[in-house]
Amino acid sequence: MVLRRIIGCLGLATGFLWGAEDYWAFAPVSNSTPPTVGNSNWAREDLDRFVLAGIEKGGYLPTKTAEKRTLVRRAYLDLHGLPPTAAQITTFLQDEREDAWEKLIGELLESPRYGERWGRHWLDVARYADTNGMDEDIAHPSAWRYRDYVIAAFNEDKPFDQFIIEQLAGDLLPAKDLEEKRARTVGLGFLSVGPKMLACDDPDKMRRDIVDEQMDTMGRAFLGMTIGCARCHDHKIDPISIKDYYGLAGIFMSTKTLTKYSVVAEFHEHNLTEEHHKKRWQEVNRLEAVRKKKETSKEEKKRLGKEIATLTKDLPVPFMVMGVSEYPTQNIKVHLRGDYLTLGEEVSRGVPSAWTDGKKIIMPEKQSGRLELARWIASAENPLTSRVIVNRLWRWHFGRGIVPTPDNFGGLGERPTHPALLDHLAHKFVKSGWSVKAMHRLMMNSAIYRQSTQADPALSKDDPENKLFARWQRRRVESEVIRDSILMKSNRLDPTVGGSMLVVQPSKYADRGHLKAHSLVPRRTVYLPVYRSSGYDGQKAFDSADSAVSDGNRRSSTVAGQALYLMNSELMHESSKSLAEIVISQDSPNPTSWLINHLLGREATEKECLQGEKFVNDYGDEKEAWSAFARVLFSSNEFLYIE
Amino acid sequence: MLLRSGTGFGALALQAMLAREAAGKSNAPPLPGTAKRVIFLFMHGGPSTVDLFDPKPLLSRDTGKPFPLKAPRITSHKSKNLLLKSPWSCQQHGASGAQVCDLLPNIASITDDLCFVKSMHCSNSRHGGALLELHTGSDTFTRPSMGSWINYGLGSENENLPGFITINPSGSHGGAGAWSSAFLPAKYTGTHISGKGTEMKVPFIDNPLHDQSKQRKELDLLASFNKEHLTQRGANSELESRIASYELAFKMQMEVPGVQDISSEPAHVKKLYGADADPTKSFGEQCLMARRFSEAGVRFVQVTHRYWDSHGNLKKEHEKLSAEMDKPVAGLITDLKQRGLLDETLVLWGGEFGRTPTAQGNDGRDHNPHGFTMFMAGGGIKPGTVYGSTDDYGYYAEDKPVHFHDLHATILHLMGIDHEEFTHRYAGRDFRLTDVEGKVVRGIIA
Repeated sequence: MVLRRIIGCLGLATGFLWGAEDYWAFAPVSNSTPPTVGNSNWAREDLDRFVLAGIEKGGYLPTKTAEKRTLVRRAYLDLHGLPPTAAQITTFLQDEREDAWEKLIGELLESPRYGERWGRHWLDVARYADTNGMDEDIAHPSAWRYRDYVIAAFNEDKPFDQFIIEQLAGDLLPAKDLEEKRARTVGLGFLSVGPKMLACDDPDKMRRDIVDEQMDTMGRAFLGMTIGCARCHDHKIDPISIKDYYGLAGIFMSTKTLTKYSVVAEFHEHNLTEEHHKKRWQEVNRLEAVRKKKETSKEEKKRLGKEIATLTKDLPVPFMVMGVSEYPTQNIKVHLRGDYLTLGEEVSRGVPSAWTDGKKIIMPEKQSGRLELARWIASAENPLTSRVIVNRLWRWHFGRGIVPTPDNFGGLGERPTHPALLDHLAHKFVKSGWSVKAMHRLMMNSAIYRQSTQADPALSKDDPENKLFARWQRRRVESEVIRDSILMKSNRLDPTVGGSMLVVQPSKYADRGHLKAHSLVPRRTVYLPVYRSSGYDGQKAFDSADSAVSDGNRRSSTVAGQALYLMNSELMHESSKSLAEIVISQDSPNPTSWLINHLLGREATEKECLQGEKFVNDYGDEKEAWSAFARVLFSSNEFLYIE
Repeated sequence: MLLRSGTGFGALALQAMLAREAAGKSNAPPLPGTAKRVIFLFMHGGPSTVDLFDPKPLLSRDTGKPFPLKAPRITSHKSKNLLLKSPWSCQQHGASGAQVCDLLPNIASITDDLCFVKSMHCSNSRHGGALLELHTGSDTFTRPSMGSWINYGLGSENENLPGFITINPSGSHGGAGAWSSAFLPAKYTGTHISGKGTEMKVPFIDNPLHDQSKQRKELDLLASFNKEHLTQRGANSELESRIASYELAFKMQMEVPGVQDISSEPAHVKKLYGADADPTKSFGEQCLMARRFSEAGVRFVQVTHRYWDSHGNLKKEHEKLSAEMDKPVAGLITDLKQRGLLDETLVLWGGEFGRTPTAQGNDGRDHNPHGFTMFMAGGGIKPGTVYGSTDDYGYYAEDKPVHFHDLHATILHLMGIDHEEFTHRYAGRDFRLTDVEGKVVRGIIA
């Protein structure tokens, strides 16, 4: 049985790493010197030389720089998840300063639209959802604070090491006042928003499953390690033994995620309401209880009602934060074959020594050890963390990681195509003070980033996956970008930032009946509540993140359901109608050409104008005709791909 | 690699098959399978199969007495474990002598087409966990649904239709998790058709213009723009498949409503399913719709009937639910047989668990994942069989127990897929529908 489980967990094993201290991902990050290249004029940044060396070694040339018009659209879609307006394109085209591109990137990084876009990337990794999913779709009414925290962290360029520590142990950091306490605690949503089996008749199993999910997500998100395998047996590929697993699990078993483990379970929230408001709420609750009593007279009820109304006037709703807290510390015993009913030896809480290069991370006696774990993960000496995050950033910019499996740096993941480049970036990242924005600048200022898609056919044929990064790999924009772009271009996008649209009480079921209404709210998609048990058909069709698992490598499919959405959805038809009204009200001498420029960001060709005019004239009703033409352009490959 | 993997050459054949599927072609199964399609009639809530198919003389005799065997360590409700005899009786039917409750006269009349597995069991005592276990094989993690796996393995029989349709699924207890493709490609996700009567629609299948010719014009102009765009950029398979996807969507839009529309069915067929009158109308219509989808080539069709969770009021609730369910189920199987489709269509009936022979209150039963009955028909199943049994009181699967993993292994086997070789690599691991478990139940295969 054990053997079968091991085989099942392993699958097609490719090699054993046990005892392999020199395994690349565990080796210290080296500050590698950029290689010498033939065409050194081509390189703009050091990182270009690492890539160019590979291209030259293969006997190829890098692809020429894309046109400015293409680049400006690429930068907007990449950093904001929204296409530029015609005016923004013109501004950039007319900017003839030598550093126009650098300036553009700097401006884009200062916009709040940036955090909405890149925060969403991180939310994929954090398997963010506003409801539990799994067996009981209980709502997370305060999870949105974590989402807004993530968006703000990207906008503020919060140092990534701090970002890590807050998400794992923000409650254990000192805070000088309530405001700081709140700011440090909201990140804890990371550990709490995962999917849980909440109606499990076996509370012990429930707790262990939750701990397992937290450890697995933490491992993938920050370390690129699949820790979960070691729950039942020593990890046969990566250096995590079953003892290591239960040493780590002790930290999480000393951490409180739920307040009630019986069916249906309830999760822990920090009440960070101001003290005097808290007192008023306590009084309100006390009076409510009296009012509900049978024996309270009618007059008394009326009077209490008035009193409550006075008390709640201008009383802000309690400030609740979904997040973990501390339990009494405990070391736990190894669960043989993952079964807590068959226990082995006790393991002290701690970080696997194979990960720390033998250094012992001291666990406090009276605290879970989350803070020590978080600090170790976020330390400059940890070779995994900086590599994993710079690789994620690279993946989100270029569509493919230097390590093509961004969530798995272990033996069953793929090897980096450019290991020296990865180290170069990781080194720079730590040196920059863990600044994500500095990495964006570096990557986007590179010559690699500015390449065109129009590569030498031989290169495309020999390197179809673009492992050499010798061209820009055209890719479809993500589900959120499609929806947001259509709303924006039809002048419907509501730029309101943050907050929650969920209508629920803590620990109550999410009401799927609201989904349709949510989907029609013209706010950016990142703000639509994520219902883990259902979701938005239009988003799912375009491969929106599966909020049940941490995933830094979203797939991109092409299926007929996507076409049906673009042909028939309410979003499409409402938006195209709005756009048609704009076209008509413009009274432009050449509306076809205006619309093409508005949506595709380029001059229309003569042929397109003729085709468009004929289409509109033949169609019948003018407004319907322009709506139809707008749908054609919204659905076109040119609109849907980042070139 | 083959040696280390322990999966052998079959996996390579399967990979080749999947590669063909990726190219969008329909595939012959790699092994000779008997079933081409599955229709799963899911009884959400957990029907009391100890009452419906598994009568126990000792349960009648000892009613009111404590359950003499050891009660399970984990139960969903605290119980005094007092036995409760069935409010109904069962009779033997057909050549197999299978026991069927008097509440189900239509199913009783076709027992010689059915195979009863009376020793089903699963691991989870709650709806959500057991439901996910039944649909995906896991009550712990998010995994692809069996309908997704089957489509991933066998590809489409009709490119103009989705390969996996779930009619009126439950939004709770797992919700979309029950028809999700999880880490398999999104195209294998189940298409849910929800709502009442004629409102039940494939998402976005209705053209709001109500005018095919106008939409055709749009798509023609779109194709022209897209082709021009492609010409400027040179051959590119992704851009080309997106161009093709609109044509496929247009065809789907033309075909799906017709397939779904049961109004064209003759009166005697509607009557057979009970789609003509209450209380069978609603579920009868859904079963008829399921047959039409299946006949048109949808690999996996699921219909959900609810809500069998009779913790109290067992007698009244089960009588009502049985009356709604009996005729449509028997009608569907009879209809498939008459059309010569039953041999290649596997029909599966069952809930996420059964109910305890012990009482909850004086007219209710708790969840029982430890022993319950499911039945199958067609698709290479041995007809007229009764397989396995529970203990003398109907609590635990005793003789030849069949876990959901075994059920999955058997379904895949019937479709020509070896469940141990059929894997998908995700996040550095090879996953199977049956995880590391599952044995094909040879005894129920014809």
